[in-house]
Amino acid sequence: MFPSPSNSMPLLPIIMPQLGESIAEATIVSAAFSVGDRVEADTDLLEVETNKAVMAVTAPCGGILKELSAVIGESYAVGATLGYLEISEEDAERLGLNDAPPAPVEQPKKKQNSGGDTSQAGKKTVKPTVSGLPVPAHAGGATFLSPRMKARMAELGLHAADLAGVAGSGAGGRVTIDDLERFLQDLERNTISPASSMRVAVADAMRRSWTRPLATVVLPVQLDILLAHRKQQTVKAGPALYALRALSIALSEMPATAGRLIGDRVIHPRSVDIGFAVEAEDGVLVPVIRHADQFPLVDLVERYNRLVELARARRLPGSDTGGSIATITNYGVFGLTMATPIPLPEQTLLLGIGAGKITPSWDADKKEFVPVTEAQFTLSFDHRVLDGGAAGRLLQRVSQLLGTPEKL
Amino acid sequence: MSITYLEAIRLAQQRVLAEDPRVFIYGQDIGGFGGAFKATKNLAKEFPGRVLDAPISEDAMVGMAIGAAVEGMRPIVEMQFADFSTCGLNQIVNQAATLHYRTGTPCPLVVRLPSGGTPGGGPFHSQSMEALYAHYPGLVVMTPATVEDAYTMLLEAVALDDPVIFCEHKFLYYHLKAEKLPEEALPFGKARITRPGRDATVVAYSAMVHEALAAAEDLSQDGYDIEVVDLRTVKPIDTDTILASVARTGRLLVVSEDWPWGGVAAEVITRVAAEGFGLLDAPPQRLNARETPVPYHPALWGTHRPTASSVANSLRQLLEL
Repeated sequence: MFPSPSNSMPLLPIIMPQLGESIAEATIVSAAFSVGDRVEADTDLLEVETNKAVMAVTAPCGGILKELSAVIGESYAVGATLGYLEISEEDAERLGLNDAPPAPVEQPKKKQNSGGDTSQAGKKTVKPTVSGLPVPAHAGGATFLSPRMKARMAELGLHAADLAGVAGSGAGGRVTIDDLERFLQDLERNTISPASSMRVAVADAMRRSWTRPLATVVLPVQLDILLAHRKQQTVKAGPALYALRALSIALSEMPATAGRLIGDRVIHPRSVDIGFAVEAEDGVLVPVIRHADQFPLVDLVERYNRLVELARARRLPGSDTGGSIATITNYGVFGLTMATPIPLPEQTLLLGIGAGKITPSWDADKKEFVPVTEAQFTLSFDHRVLDGGAAGRLLQRVSQLLGTPEKL
Repeated sequence: MSITYLEAIRLAQQRVLAEDPRVFIYGQDIGGFGGAFKATKNLAKEFPGRVLDAPISEDAMVGMAIGAAVEGMRPIVEMQFADFSTCGLNQIVNQAATLHYRTGTPCPLVVRLPSGGTPGGGPFHSQSMEALYAHYPGLVVMTPATVEDAYTMLLEAVALDDPVIFCEHKFLYYHLKAEKLPEEALPFGKARITRPGRDATVVAYSAMVHEALAAAEDLSQDGYDIEVVDLRTVKPIDTDTILASVARTGRLLVVSEDWPWGGVAAEVITRVAAEGFGLLDAPPQRLNARETPVPYHPALWGTHRPTASSVANSLRQLLEL
């Protein structure tokens, strides 16, 4: 047992520390000590949790835990007093405690509203309903942009998506012009490099595409027959071109799945032109094979290879890009087995190919597992135009067509 | 010594009578009686033959004054109540307003309208006519909100070569006081930032400036910083000052004791929406008198016109938009 502390010894408040840039409060998870315990310098006193991580409140110096007012499970604002340590005169001197003697032990204030000066007390702000969130729930943020905000953002070339992380301080938690200017000023502390025009173009396309409800279906496709077929060819097509040709046939059978919904009308494609993604310097280009449904696979190989070269050299003519109704992307080349890529904004469909790998498959005839080469094929689609069933049928048909590569 | 809004009007008239021999005042019971509100008290004695009692005909009063103005005089016509000026409407809007346009002859006429509501004034003694007259090209419409402005703007009105409708607010006549009369004034047609702020702009004029200021004071308790703009002259209107204020605050409330339809508030909002849309953080709002004739009963009257508390309520709503 430790001797009971004398009343004359200095008290050091235990303060909720700043736990991260955008963290305003944290929840007490557990306390490592009880009142009366002796603690050493730098030991963890309390475990606290934010929405990002579990962290600790540590003792800045050794002492005796005199008071622990923080309640487990409650949230406290950064800067709130969680308890008091009784410390030595020397430590108090070193920590500058004697300059401002602590107020008598009092209940810590539970977090109400994050900070702000008192003159703002009556202003309506969004009260956090879930503690630990850097942005309060139900805050408007950048969902509503006033004409003034829009004008300023247009001036700066900003989009609503750029402000997604800004917690608004305005009415209903809206992002105000002051929030915007503060946010922009704060960015200046970071290293900043200009985005390439390619990056900006991709960003623009993806942001616009993301305004739609996009969904993805997945189907494992066995590639052994396809790979065997490919081996026998003198002019070899890659798996992406096989898939492109298969998709073009499937779409010529059910073109409405590649339609676009504009208002209450479905716009059907004029021709089965299919694009394919080619990675090029800081972005992705999508050359297009026109009327892919009307040429056998073997006739497409040379066109395909030429377009890849042109795209990589960023010399793709305008006539060989744009206007396609679906895109093929072979993310398997990055070793990825599954992904949910985003279709181009003017397209409804995106067929993705994962990396092939040898996997056991049950052979019902032999009554044993046999090794097969399998890849995950994904079809990402605009859910306004088609549903999972239609997407599934289209993908099944592609898989079926790839099972008879000689007919492609 | 303190000077009321009404005394400032009397002193301005005294001064122009003394300084400019072309000036005379014409109106009902303004001579020996000193006018319905005593705005010309003792002036008839001090300036014999230049403060003249008129017959009970606004039509005749304005018509005669226009004739005198054409001949080089600077007449001031006092209406007993703004409401009665409609009996002289033809002379004001068809003759005075168009004279210079039609003939090249200026019409330096001032028509003083004791305007706005007072408790118990009722439908015929409470109207605000500024929007009606502002509608007509050729008229200047002044709406002073302070003792100082009442004085300097009346001097200005007499000096102008255009016909001026001078809307003096009856509610301010006795309530508003100043220590002394000013030596200088803002330029003609310039609005005043009466109270600077950052969170919202209230554009007002005449008596409503004081309701807006009280509301701004109320909201300052909640930490809001409200800017109050006094238009002073509703026509011409100082669009630049309004836009500059909205650029600072992003929010606009226009308060007018007049009815909403086609009013000054509507005009201010139209200009801000058309020329300053990109300055707005919220849809611009207006607060006018209720759209009924002005009620007689003081309690009803108190809810008919915008007041500090209704302005404060409108501001609170605007700040949450």
